[in-house]
Amino acid sequence: MERKHLKNGFTLRISGAPDETLASLPPPRQVAAVAARTRFLKPRLAVKVGDAVKTGTLLFADKRRPELRFLSPGAGRVSAVNFGPRRSLQEVVIDLEEPEEAEAFPRLDEAGLAAVDPEELRRRIVEGGLWSLIRELPFREAAALDRRPPQVVVFLDNLEPFHPSPRVYLQGRVERFRFGLRVLEKLSGRPPIVTACTGGAETVAELKPLITDLLQGRYPAHDPGVLLYRSRHRPEQRQAWIVEGQDVLLLAELLQEGRYPIRRIVTLGGPGVASPGHLEVRLGAPLADLVGGRAAVGERLRFVAGGVLTGARAESASFLALHEKALTLIPEGDRPGGLLEWMLPGRQKPSYSRAFLSSWMPSSVPMDCNRHGGIRACIQCAFCMRVCPVDILPQLTYKAVLAGETEEALAHGLLDCVECGLCSLVCPSKIELLETLQRAKAAVREEMR
Amino acid sequence: MNPVRRFFDSHRHHFEPGGRFARFGFLYENLESVFFAPAAVTATAPQVRDSLDVKRFMFLVIVALLPHYAFGIFNVGYQAHRAAGLPPEFFSVIGVGLKAVVPMVVVTYAVGYFWEALFATVRKHEISEGLFVSCALFPLTLPPTQPLWQVALGISFGIVVGKEIFGGTGRNFLNPALTGRAFLYFAYPAQTSGDAVWTLLLPGRSAPVDAFTAATPLSIAAVAEGGPIPQAWAEAGYDLWTLFIGLYPDAIGASSTLLCLAGAIFLIAVGVADFRIILGDTLGILVTAGAIRLLAGPGAAPYLLLDPWLHLMVGGAAFGIAYMTTDPVSAPALSRARWVYGFFIGALTVLIRVFNPAFPEGIGIAILFMNCFAPLLDELEVRARLKKRVSHVR
Ligand code: SF4
Ligand code: SF4
Repeated sequence: MERKHLKNGFTLRISGAPDETLASLPPPRQVAAVAARTRFLKPRLAVKVGDAVKTGTLLFADKRRPELRFLSPGAGRVSAVNFGPRRSLQEVVIDLEEPEEAEAFPRLDEAGLAAVDPEELRRRIVEGGLWSLIRELPFREAAALDRRPPQVVVFLDNLEPFHPSPRVYLQGRVERFRFGLRVLEKLSGRPPIVTACTGGAETVAELKPLITDLLQGRYPAHDPGVLLYRSRHRPEQRQAWIVEGQDVLLLAELLQEGRYPIRRIVTLGGPGVASPGHLEVRLGAPLADLVGGRAAVGERLRFVAGGVLTGARAESASFLALHEKALTLIPEGDRPGGLLEWMLPGRQKPSYSRAFLSSWMPSSVPMDCNRHGGIRACIQCAFCMRVCPVDILPQLTYKAVLAGETEEALAHGLLDCVECGLCSLVCPSKIELLETLQRAKAAVREEMR
Repeated sequence: MNPVRRFFDSHRHHFEPGGRFARFGFLYENLESVFFAPAAVTATAPQVRDSLDVKRFMFLVIVALLPHYAFGIFNVGYQAHRAAGLPPEFFSVIGVGLKAVVPMVVVTYAVGYFWEALFATVRKHEISEGLFVSCALFPLTLPPTQPLWQVALGISFGIVVGKEIFGGTGRNFLNPALTGRAFLYFAYPAQTSGDAVWTLLLPGRSAPVDAFTAATPLSIAAVAEGGPIPQAWAEAGYDLWTLFIGLYPDAIGASSTLLCLAGAIFLIAVGVADFRIILGDTLGILVTAGAIRLLAGPGAAPYLLLDPWLHLMVGGAAFGIAYMTTDPVSAPALSRARWVYGFFIGALTVLIRVFNPAFPEGIGIAILFMNCFAPLLDELEVRARLKKRVSHVR
């Protein structure tokens, strides 16, 4: 186990951290396969309202990349196909019907795995609807089928507030996890790098021997992009596959059991949750079910699928998407501040800077979705470049993007950006740095196709 | 409901689209946002944002400047009483100080806000709070005798030429307050330099009493011959303690090294000023003055032999270091560039002071000069960084 210190970054001390208790929910009446909130996805429907489906039946697949198949996380009848703005598919909703039948996939045991051809293994994961869980840098989209990655990085901890702890989701599943690692080794031809953060997975004795790199640092030190930026010096070496620890379990379950996995562990956290913790849920469960009665009262809350920094805003009537592992509730905060409140010392005002009293105190503080200020021109405070974990100068890269200088933005390291969101978070001028860089990256991706 | 809140709520409709003053809507927003932080929420990731905004950032600079105003008001009155040979009775001192300083501040803010609002209306952009810092800094750099119409002209030049013609706060490369100050220096030397301007004369007097020295420590240093400068200062009644506190005739609020030190520590502590620039400035002054002293050898002009650290005790050096060089907009953004920027400002300040008798104070010009090179310094550091960076290029 190699210990690595990662520079820069910033750990947000926001209240609502989940504890390590694990609750399970009553079975849902509906589940859905979600297309919203998955970047670059262009879904083509494979079912219509009224169709009967089994667990594991194909519901939709990507138009350009048919290997990205999204399967039904339950058995019953298609009750709704919901579209969002510009007729983009949001989700396919299934009314569950007992008894739930499941599509059968071939099963694989240890001996089978040793013998199986990587090509066949890949085909089974694609058929089983989980290929999109193997993502690829720099664009963080589902890995290309036809390219062997220079490296596979499995990361156990996620430092973004808030994500499931490996101490909870790997409890009693270490053997399965090991199997998953061997699957990835078979697929890529080399043993995966397995990372953990100090104080996280490394504290579990059983996991210790599996960890290759122990990362020490502030958010987003867990992100494989940061590790690869620091340790791999040729650009091709950084175009690795990345897989989250919990997704390794899903891959292993699909192959070992021969059926589409339907459960995972998520966190329910954030300042808008009364008793934050871990939940064992059905894939595709309604977000409202996840919340149950645990939302804080008296506030209008924003549902965020994922963490507070990289997560996407979700409708409260939406469902959990395949790749999502957290639901965070944050008060909207869409009201003006108190009279001259911005001049006060600010014990409860979280900030990267030291401009409020809160920065001098150790406690976590609640946050809301208020922007906390008007949009201004950049004042060159340099905060964005001090937080950036991969040494990008976000304000200059941003200017290059706006000026249409793509080559310059690339030279600044645009493709190394791990999309952690810290630059936008800390900017006192409230400039949408992350959004701009993401758009620029997407344009580069489009051009490279 | 809070009466201030009620006032804004009941007048908003005039400024909304279709209202009588719709085109001044942003002025209304701007004024409202002084009292109540806006309600706007995030539309994209990250869903939460830092509590710090530009308003708070700039406000902290103004907080740091308030003691300078208190001190300046006192000192203006105090020097006026001494020049009149009157005992410095506290309330009378404060009264005289207020009468001199308050009108200058009011004129500065009124004129500065007028220009900013005019450009904001034409360009339809928001009013940046940087303006309020420029307007707070500007009067502190002026002699207390400056005529108000010149104050108005100076801040106009500073805001319009130093900032607006480049596109407003964030796009300017010169420090607006210093630009205005420099303009007055060159356009109206009679009211901005010489020994007479730094002391206010009480009504009815045409000259200070004989026992009063009107010369500033800097001008004493510039003309000193023979004995060491600290001795010349002592003869004029400026012992080290007086110099450190700043109780001598000078610009309104810039003379107190003590307050500048406190202000610099405060601004570094709250993360508004970068210690790199401040230490760079200080090093530049100490190293340059030290080198001059070594090279000059005994027998040279006393100014060349001045103890390096005494440069920080007199004139506007400390004020410039704490508040003018640290303005992030006109300084370079990158860390190493900031060290270099600071060092050169310090070095130039000493060189101008010691070798150019036309400028008793060098820091203003040094800062404006280095403002022009800030983009270049950044560019050099960026290039060095990009060379090291192995990027994903196609
Ligand atoms: S540029 Fe911004 S989003 Fe990208 S890695 Fe740096 S801080 Fe994170
Ligand atoms: S954080 Fe915002 S204001 Fe500060 S340098 Fe970066 S872009 Fe400019």
